[in-house]
Order: sequence, then structure tokens, then C-alpha cells
Amino acid sequence: MLNETAIKELQEIRSKYPSARSALLPAIYVAQREFGWLSEEAYEAVSEVLGVPKAIARGVGAFYAMYKHRPMGRNIIQLCTNVSCMILGAERLADYLKSHYGLVPGGTTEDGRFSLVIMECIGACGTAPAMLVNDEFYENLSEQYIEEILAKFT
Amino acid sequence: MITVTINEKEITLEKPITVLEAARSAGISIPTLCYHPALERYGGCRLCLVEVEKMPRLQTACTLMTADGMIVRTETDAIAGVRRGILEFLLINHPLDCPYCDKAGECELQDLVEKYGPTTGRFKEKKRKMPESLEDAIIVRNMERCIVCTRCVRMCEGVQGASAIAVMERGGHSHIEPFSGGKYDCEYCGNCISVCPVGAIMSRMHRHSYRPWQMTDQVETICPYCGVGCTVTAQVRDDAIKRIIPKLGSPVNNGLLCSRGRFGYEFVGNRDRLTRPLIRKNGVLEESTWEEAIHRVTQKLGEIKEKYGSSSVAGIASPRCTNEDNYVFQKFMRVTIGTHNIDSTARTGYAGAQQFIENIFGQGATANIISGISRSDVVFVVGGDPTTVNPILGLQIRACSRKGGAVLTLGKVSGLRYFSPHALDPASFTETVLLEGIVTELKNRKELSGSHSSLESNIKDIAVSVEDVIKECKIREDDFHSFITLLSEASNPVLIIGKEIIQSNGASYKLLLLSAINYLINGRIYLLSERANEQGLLDMGCASDLLPGSRPVEVAELRRRYERAWHVTLPDKPGLTLFEMIHGAKEGSVRAMYVMGENPLFNLPNSENVKEALGNLDFLVVQDLFMTETAESADVVLPALSWAEKEGTFTNMERRIQKLRKVISRAGKEDWRIISDVSGNMGVSFPYDSAEDVFAEISKVSPLHRDLTYDDIEEGEALWPFKGEPLRGGMEISCNKGDGATESGKYFLAIDRPLFHSGTLSRKSSALMRLCPEAVARISSTTAAELSVTDGDSIRISTRIGSLSLPVFIDEAYDGSLIKVSNNFRGKGVFSLMEYSLDPVLKSPCMDNVIIEIEKSDRHVQRDPKNDSEVKK
Ligand code: SF4
Ligand code: SF4
Ligand code: SF4
Ligand code: FES
Ligand code: FES
Repeated sequence: MLNETAIKELQEIRSKYPSARSALLPAIYVAQREFGWLSEEAYEAVSEVLGVPKAIARGVGAFYAMYKHRPMGRNIIQLCTNVSCMILGAERLADYLKSHYGLVPGGTTEDGRFSLVIMECIGACGTAPAMLVNDEFYENLSEQYIEEILAKFT
Repeated sequence: MITVTINEKEITLEKPITVLEAARSAGISIPTLCYHPALERYGGCRLCLVEVEKMPRLQTACTLMTADGMIVRTETDAIAGVRRGILEFLLINHPLDCPYCDKAGECELQDLVEKYGPTTGRFKEKKRKMPESLEDAIIVRNMERCIVCTRCVRMCEGVQGASAIAVMERGGHSHIEPFSGGKYDCEYCGNCISVCPVGAIMSRMHRHSYRPWQMTDQVETICPYCGVGCTVTAQVRDDAIKRIIPKLGSPVNNGLLCSRGRFGYEFVGNRDRLTRPLIRKNGVLEESTWEEAIHRVTQKLGEIKEKYGSSSVAGIASPRCTNEDNYVFQKFMRVTIGTHNIDSTARTGYAGAQQFIENIFGQGATANIISGISRSDVVFVVGGDPTTVNPILGLQIRACSRKGGAVLTLGKVSGLRYFSPHALDPASFTETVLLEGIVTELKNRKELSGSHSSLESNIKDIAVSVEDVIKECKIREDDFHSFITLLSEASNPVLIIGKEIIQSNGASYKLLLLSAINYLINGRIYLLSERANEQGLLDMGCASDLLPGSRPVEVAELRRRYERAWHVTLPDKPGLTLFEMIHGAKEGSVRAMYVMGENPLFNLPNSENVKEALGNLDFLVVQDLFMTETAESADVVLPALSWAEKEGTFTNMERRIQKLRKVISRAGKEDWRIISDVSGNMGVSFPYDSAEDVFAEISKVSPLHRDLTYDDIEEGEALWPFKGEPLRGGMEISCNKGDGATESGKYFLAIDRPLFHSGTLSRKSSALMRLCPEAVARISSTTAAELSVTDGDSIRISTRIGSLSLPVFIDEAYDGSLIKVSNNFRGKGVFSLMEYSLDPVLKSPCMDNVIIEIEKSDRHVQRDPKNDSEVKK
């Protein structure tokens, strides 16, 4: 179940929208944060607080690729491998993540510290290659820079 | 007037409709897939594309509205190409496993591809793989076949209102799933199955056992379960029902069904059915012949009548039997035996409540059309969850809410929780004050019209202050006021009354308050009815105080009509009501009982007491389909034919008389025929060869059914008030406020009325048993926390008269301190724990004050529905 604060947060989100269903997307984000991923419990919590049938909540969530539909590591690396990033070496960086961290696309490190998701352009083509770790942007990546960045996350 | 031209044909329309509807009305066919007449328009599959002059691209005919002067073409080369293309796309992932698919033969995709589609596809890629899901007990899901037309989702959300399934993921991965991904855990109406154009969601019940073209017969009849009276089509192969489906355009249910109606038919073919008469010999029930059994009944009833008088014999009629059965039964009791001791379980609520309301507003006050509910602007629900008691009526309330109507409920109604209910949830035992408060406030806002003086004089005496209501009922003042505002400003309101309020302390006074509210808001009343022919049985005179056509027994002028028709003199006082019969049996004034299609030993409160009473009888005859609890203690058991095996009529809660048709044949006798045989043997012969003969007599004898024929009924012309003469209302009102005493227990026992069961008949239907295999104690999560129990734990519930150990079921949609237990499962019925007192006016039991003690008992082992002894096929 959600804690009091999270329930309040959901209710606040709800109050900003004309109908409960329109509040689903931000509400699902809150539940995802609280449960770590979009488990059945997460959707049930959203459904309960917003008063939206749970299958509807799940249907909306399931449409979007950017939610976590599977259990994931504590930190999510979203690495771009689209054209600009690819030309500037993104695939090499992916290999680096694999050899040094054991991270394959879609996978999670054994210690649960990182998960890796491959993205199609995150709008940083001018400063490629680029990635997101959780909500933060990192550009002009190199192997060494990646190592420095990831050291900050536990 | 709008004139459109479709394929050079001019069509004139009264009002704008879609191009598709216009074309179809003119006999021009346009292929469709996502379109379904019962569903909201969608425009998703693009198969219905047409050319419209002056419009740039092809248009979807199912969504485009006609406009004056529109010129449409439906068969051009361009359109043919597009259709072929769309079908080719749909077949990219469709497995084309038609030889193995149950839908083949009635599959819309198959038909369309055959007519318009490409014969070969050009895609070389692999098809998507999604294994068929058999995780659910009833619904099998094959998402490889799904073409994502969303008909099922629109049905479940937009019509059924269950919102149990949704489109998951997107693009080529789109598929339909219930929340859990496997089990549906929904209302199991099966309406999604009805609308799926392909074999993507299907019933498991007839899986691989027949194909549409193999059925030998298809019969339209009426659902045997509740008082809504849905039309069902039974499909038959080799004299066994294979499938029950609804029919679009039928009255009442228009293409929809509920779980009981669709999946509950298997009791018909259950191998536990009684096949031969049984006679108790040396304490044991032994098989015998019809002659011997009927002889025994005749002889014993004759003896007892001779020795103790006619009034020592009593009869219990059946709300599951037809009008014809019930008419013959009451005639037998009145004419052959010579007593008005004929009653039924309608006495547990429906009968008394209806009579009370009719005394005020006139006969037929509750005969309102169910489909009118969705067109009203305010629905006020009191005394139960209509979505489980009368599911199809429940859908009407949901539809009303969807159209912007307000749903008001007294207490929380879990089946309406997503329909923005305005719920006033008064503290336990304060409904009376709340209703008085509502009456007071309404009368302050509305003028009394003066049209009903006795009711108005009662209304004038009612006065409670808002402060008192708020304080006693522990509700919020705002909520109360907005409730009153909605009620008083309603222009077309309806009031829906369920058994929970009729079976509570002071019920007749509460009904007076509800009648007052109804009068003040000028509403229409609907009385929920749990049995298919509860209304019909009353109209046939299976009540100790009413003759056929609901004429009171004690009025001599009215009685004469029947005496002339039946050539007898009838007793001038009413007979014993149901509960008086039980009491009479217990103390020895009732010596013999004839029970037709009813199970009083299980279906009446304080079952132990009923058992003792019936055990005390000199002679008990039971006529039934199965060896029920009551049949087990009978002296003679007579096997009857079921609803599917006979002709006749049912009268639903709207008082619509509908025709039951014989679906399959089986050796045996209808209830009315068995009783006629007994009567003939007793020297009073009844001249009927068929149910229609019986009905012909009904239409002569009953002033309500005057001149009505089977032909009228077949033509759907048997709507209230038929061609008959209803009695007027405006009678003197007497009611009883109850003793007001409430025991101050922490937990109270209440009757659970589950969606998947109905009396004890549904436990002989394997599908319903799979959906709801065993009795549970339904509790709120608050109660669960207080008792420190979780799902899977058991509790022992004890009252002064008994105790039961039951697994708990924590119902998230429900709060409060009531513990709800159903009365469906053998040895586990809530009525074995329930004491009652009788409402002196309604003569129905009050059971809302049963205080219980609870303790945690052993952990519960889930029963395997596959090994269920109740269900054998
Ligand atoms: S059976 Fe009824 S409630 Fe269940 S998913 Fe289908 S439409 Fe919805
Ligand atoms: S399951 Fe059937 S009705 Fe539902 S979307 Fe798929 S094809 Fe359409
Ligand atoms: S609503 Fe009643 S009559 Fe209709 S299908 Fe369900 S049980 Fe049968
Ligand atoms: S291609 Fe990588 S950010 Fe745009
Ligand atoms: S039927 Fe018109 S778009 Fe599907």
C-alpha cells in the first residue's frame, strides 16, 4: 500500500484535472516511484486513490514504453543509440557497459544497482553521444566519463 | 428531411443517422468489423470506407453522419482495393487456424475475407505468438486471433460498466487483457464474448463440442433466474443445451445477459436430476412408479383432510415455476383441498412490499419498464445492490449515470462505485431517521398536491430536524443537502427498492417513508425481484390472501367470480402465510404440506426451526428437480420438468408476461400436470391438455389477465395492465415503526446476494460453481484488521441458534461492520444462523439485527471446484 504522503500527492494530482482518468499518467509515475516499477499493487494503488477501474489504469500505463513495466535496478541508464549518437560511438559505449558492468540492453546488474534501456534519440544530438541516468542528462560521453558518472550512483 | 444518394439510390431520412445506418436501412451492405449496433461508434478498423462526393479522402461510413444532398458510393475499384488491403493487414498476424477455431462458421473476419479479401498474403515475416490463455475458468482468450477492434473493451466499459479488460501495449503488440493478465475476476457477463467478431475471446463451456452449423435447434425463451426476465436463445445439439446467447433487439435485455443467464443453464442436464418418483418406505426414500406415488399422495392428503379439515393442509408454491404451474397449484389447494393455505417465498419480502405500495398507489405501481431507468435523471437506490440481484436492471442504472443522471444510494453499493454515486451512509439502524429527514426536507421544498389525502396526512406528521438527522446518522450536512437538492429537482426520478430494507426492523414504516418520498418527487418505483416468476406467482393467486389477479380473498363480491368459475364455495378468510404455515406445522395445526419447486428447509430463516416444523408433519410432498434439503425429509418426492423442458409463461418484475418455450425434451411431467393428476385422483378433475389450456382458463378467471392469449404474449403485447382491470389504490395506510430496539453488538450478520448464485439451483451449474465455489464470510478490510485475519483464514460465526465456520473474503469495495454470508451452499447457509421477527404489516421477516460472535478458526483449505460433489454432469 502507499504511504500517507504518496496518497496525498496522488490526491493533489487528481485535483488538478477535470476527471480522474486525465490524472492517470502523472499518478502512475508516483506509484512507479513508490513501488519501484508498475507492479499490480502499483496499479491497484492508483486505481484505489483515483477511483478509476484498475484494468483501465493498467491499460493506460501499458501503452507507454517509458514506464517501468518490469522490476528494474535502483538507477536507470537510458543510453541513446540513434543516428548521431551511433556515429559518435554509442555502440562502443554499450559494449563498455557490458564488459565493465555486466549490463546488457534491457538488463539489470546483479547487485540491482543499474538497469540499461536503449533509447531512440533523447534530443541531445548536438552533444552526442548522450544518456540519461534517472532524470539527469549526460552528454559528450566517453568510457572514462561514464565511469565517473556511474560512481555517483549507489 | 434529409435526402442522400447512395449508389445512385435516393434515400430520405427523418433525422440524421450515420451513412452506414442509412445504407443498411436501404438494403445496401457495407462491410464492417469494429462497428456493433450496441456499442459506441469507434471508426477504428477502416473497413467501412466509402467515397463521398466533395470530400477529399475515403470516409468511414460507421461514423460519418448523413447530410442533405450527400452523394455516396460504396462499391468502387478504389474501395475494393482498400478493403483488400485492410484485410491483408489484419491477416499479417491472424493465425488462420479456422479448422481448429470454434468461431469458424460465425466469424466475421472469415466471412469478410472470403467475400472481399486477398486469397494470399504477401508478408513473409513470422506471425506474432501469444499462447492461448486457459487461466480463466470460463473465458478462453486467444490473442493471436484478436484484430483489436476493441468491441469487447467498449462493451465491458461502455455498456456493462465493469471495465475489467483493456487494450494492453500498442501497435503490433496490442492485445486485450483483464487486469491480472490471466484470470478475469470480473462480472462474467460474457457480453464481451457476444461482440467479439472473431474467435479471440470465447466461452470455455462448449469449447470444441459443437460448431454453429451443427446445432439442431435454436429456441428463444426466458432466463430462469431473476425477475428481470431476459430473453435468451438456447442453442441445442442432440437434445442438450450447448450455449445460451442473447438476442439484439429483445425486450428488457436487448442483446445483453448476466453471468447467471448466460452460464447458469447446466443444471438442466445435471445428472443429479431426479428421474423417478420416490416414496418413503420404512424411513427410506425408495424409487416407485408414478401411479403408486400419486396414489400415495392422494390417499394421504385425503385422509388428513378428512380427519383434521382442509385447513390442516398447506401448499408452498414456486417463483421458479410458470404461471400455469402456479395457477393450477393454487386452484388445487383452493378447490380440491378447500383452503387458502397457499403461499410462497415471495412472502419473505416482495409480496408484502408490493401490496403495501399498491395499497397506496394502486395495483401496478411497481410495474415500470426497466429500460426507462436509463432515461431518468435521478435514480435513488435503497436496500441492496441491484447489479447483483437484478444485473440487467443494474446496467440501466449505470447507463443512467453515464448519460449524466445522478445515482443516489442509501448506504454504499459496491456495484455502482464507479458511477459517481452520491451515497448517504447512515450509522447502523438509523435509516428510519434519515428517511424521515428526507421526507421532512422534501415536503418543505415541495407543495403537497392534495391528490392523495391519506398519504398526505401521514406525510404531515413526519418532522425531524436536519440537525437531528446529521447527528444521529453521522453523515455530513453538505452531503445531505445535495442529496435533497438532487431529489427535489429531479424531473423524471426512479426509486429502486431492494430486500435489505424490506427485511429490516420497522420495514413497513420505512416503506411508508419511501412511498412518501416517491409521492413528493413524483417518481416510479421498482421492486427488485430475485426469482424469475415471483411476480407471476402472486398474480396467479399463490398468496394466502389473494386470488388470481390479486383480488383480496375476504371481499365477498370479488370472491364470487372465482366461486362461479370453479363451482365451489371458497373460505371467506385468508389462509396461512408462509411463516404461519411453519408455525402451524410446529405446533400441530398443519398436518400435511405440499411443496412445489421450493426448498423451505434451506431458503427460510432459522432453518433448524423449519426442519423441526417439517419433521413434525404427518405428510410432506415435494415436487422438484433435485434432491434438495426439503426433499430429503419428504414422504413423497415427485420429479418435475425444468424450465427448459416445458411451455408456459413467466411474468417479470415489470409485469411483462413472456413466453417460455420448450428447448429440449425429456421424459416426465410438468408441475401443473402432476398436480392435475393428483387432483383428478382426488375426484376433482382439471381439464387441461397443455399449458395453453391452463392459460386459457387464467384469462377467463383472472380479471387482470382478461382475454389474454398466447398469441398476444408471443407478439409482445402482454405488458401491464394487459387488457385487465387493475385495482385502485388510496387505501387506509397502516404501518409499524418496529420496536426501535437494536442490540448493541459490534458485528451484525447480513445476507450476501452473490452475482453468481441464485437460491440453490445455481449450485447445480458447474460454471457458476467454478466462479463461486464455496460459501465465504464477506468482511471489510477494517473488520479484517480488527479480527486480525487475512484472505485464506477462517472465522467461526455464532448466533444464539447456530454456528458456521467459513473462510473470510475481504471485499475492498465494501466497508462497515456487517459480516455478509450467502444462502446458497449446502450446510453453509446464512439462514441457519438467522433468527427473525415478523413485520406485523408486511408479514415478512426482519433480519437486520442478528448479533454474532466471531472467533478465528482453523486455516481454510481451498475446495477444488473440479471435485465438487454438487456438480455432476
Ligand atoms: S465477461 Fe463481462 S465483465 Fe467480464 S470482461 Fe467480459 S464484458 Fe467485462
Ligand atoms: S478480443 Fe475480439 S472483440 Fe476484443 S478487440 Fe480482439 S477481436 Fe475485437
Ligand atoms: S438479469 Fe436476471 S433474467 Fe437477465 S440474464 Fe441475468 S439472471 Fe437472467
Ligand atoms: S541520436 Fe542520440 S540524442 Fe538524438
Ligand atoms: S466499421 Fe467503420 S471503421 Fe470499423
